[in-house]
Amino acid sequence: MNDIERFADSSPARLGRGKKGKVLSDAWFSVLLITPAMIIIFFFALYPLFYALNFALRHVDLTTAVGVGPLVGLDNFRFALNDRFFWHATKVTLIFTIAAVSVEMGLGIGIAFLLYQVRWFKGVIRSLLLLPLATAPAATGLIWRHMYHPDFGVYNYFLSLLGLPELNWLGSINLALPSVIVFDIWQWTPFVALIVLAGLQSLPREPFEAAELDGASTWQVLRRLTFPMLSPVLTLVFVLRTIDALRLYDAVYSLTSGGPGTVTETLTYYLYRIGLKFFRMDRASAIAFLFLYVTIVFSGIVLRSLTRAQSERARRL
Amino acid sequence: MERRQVTGGDLVRYAIIFALLIFFLFPIYWMIATSFKAPGDILTRPPRWTFQPTLENYFYAFEQANFGLFIKNTLIVAVVSTAIVIVIGSLAAYSFARYDVGAGHLMFFILSTRMFPAIAVVIPYFVIFRDLGNTVIGQALSLGLDRLGALVVCYTMFNLPFGIWLMHSFFQDIPVELEDSARLDGYSRLQVLLRVVLPLVAPGLAVTAIFCLIFAWNEFLFAFMLTRAVARTITVGVASFWTQRGILWGPLSAAATVCVVPMLIFALLLQRYIVRGLTFGAVRG
Repeated sequence: MNDIERFADSSPARLGRGKKGKVLSDAWFSVLLITPAMIIIFFFALYPLFYALNFALRHVDLTTAVGVGPLVGLDNFRFALNDRFFWHATKVTLIFTIAAVSVEMGLGIGIAFLLYQVRWFKGVIRSLLLLPLATAPAATGLIWRHMYHPDFGVYNYFLSLLGLPELNWLGSINLALPSVIVFDIWQWTPFVALIVLAGLQSLPREPFEAAELDGASTWQVLRRLTFPMLSPVLTLVFVLRTIDALRLYDAVYSLTSGGPGTVTETLTYYLYRIGLKFFRMDRASAIAFLFLYVTIVFSGIVLRSLTRAQSERARRL
Repeated sequence: MERRQVTGGDLVRYAIIFALLIFFLFPIYWMIATSFKAPGDILTRPPRWTFQPTLENYFYAFEQANFGLFIKNTLIVAVVSTAIVIVIGSLAAYSFARYDVGAGHLMFFILSTRMFPAIAVVIPYFVIFRDLGNTVIGQALSLGLDRLGALVVCYTMFNLPFGIWLMHSFFQDIPVELEDSARLDGYSRLQVLLRVVLPLVAPGLAVTAIFCLIFAWNEFLFAFMLTRAVARTITVGVASFWTQRGILWGPLSAAATVCVVPMLIFALLLQRYIVRGLTFGAVRG
């Protein structure tokens, strides 16, 4: 036995009542195993949050000599709720999330079904689809900026080849947000497709063979069998994509920097502008808490349904 | 089943797939192609499809912008934070899978810390590291603004909940009977974990490590906010070619290629494991 094992097996005996030979109970052993992780999460995730809460209730302006000032109650929250840029950013974030996630889900599910039916090169196609999601959005976003270039961009060149009018992709007020959405669709649709494909491939064969014998139509099979059986996988992808879409930052920074004006300013970008450009940490912290509240409520609702689905699956097995 | 003829349906399917692959792969091709173009070939109309390749942009990126340092920093931060996540996270994940500490509530809490928008913690981090950087402890552990230790802390923090969740599903796949029989053979609980369970779950730990490495390598927000020069990472380095005078497209494409291509190779080599990990244990098989 090495030192760690001796510690794990006998420490409470030595530290506790001193009974010799009494080993650590299962409960203590399991708690000991999670302790390092809990310490890290407590200090590095929770402590900064309390720090931020403290800021949110004070006057904090790091550009002045005072720095962290006196308590001001809920003034910073009041500021956020009365700031039209806050509501604008909220709207942009919601439009982005709803549009990007629904297209990614629809297209991704379609690609998954397509790949499921394909007979040759399935492995190669799957590998190639994996590539966009391994790229850093901060880097590829800048490449897309080049491709979206109004004069020299390759997308406008393709449009001109087809005889279509050329577009000011990132510079126009109406088009900038859709252009950011297209970038996100490029990066994350394959993610949806690959997970749904894995889900399809893992479905049991028997119910489908039985349905075929009963003469069920394709639509009936999809509606009664395929989608209900896929629902845990679909919920999972939906949650992961929504959470990431709400937190979108890298792509906005590298594609538009929130512009033109504040047309594509998402909540995270707005937070960045208030907190780290204007150094009003108090207001930024208050906004972060409003944001956090919304994401936790959302993910709490969806995650609960997900964990319920998973435990039902575990019971079936 | 006998080998069928190529049907019309097949042709339509492959045509659609071909179009989709062009959409998904073209930006990557364009990035690599631009990185080998001379300045005069980059902003042209129509775009140049054939050109005399040059390494000029790569020389510029490595000499002018110290890109070698960015790569070194990124490697250090990614590897160290991943190692911490795997060691500490696997202990916790095993405990959750085998002993169900906190009856699921603690797992849910850990997972919920993953929901925190990074931007919500980056602001307190900025102030905490600024203050910590001026103390003796902070300097000894390299925890401060523009220090690698600070990034290791951030990346560990955001990869740990994900890692625990992912590894939890791999530990659950190990049959309990195997552990029980090892206990009967006289192994202690820790011996069971180290000598029986960990070797079996090693592929799962590798999957988790791949993900943590890719996330850390591609991370931008923390690195952008918390570093200035010394601890700058590769993604921030790419963005640094976006200068006051405009975007230096050639060096930027070269830098982006250096940033992206290692992860592409990584993903291609390990694609089977990545798909397994992506499904987060929601799909068996």
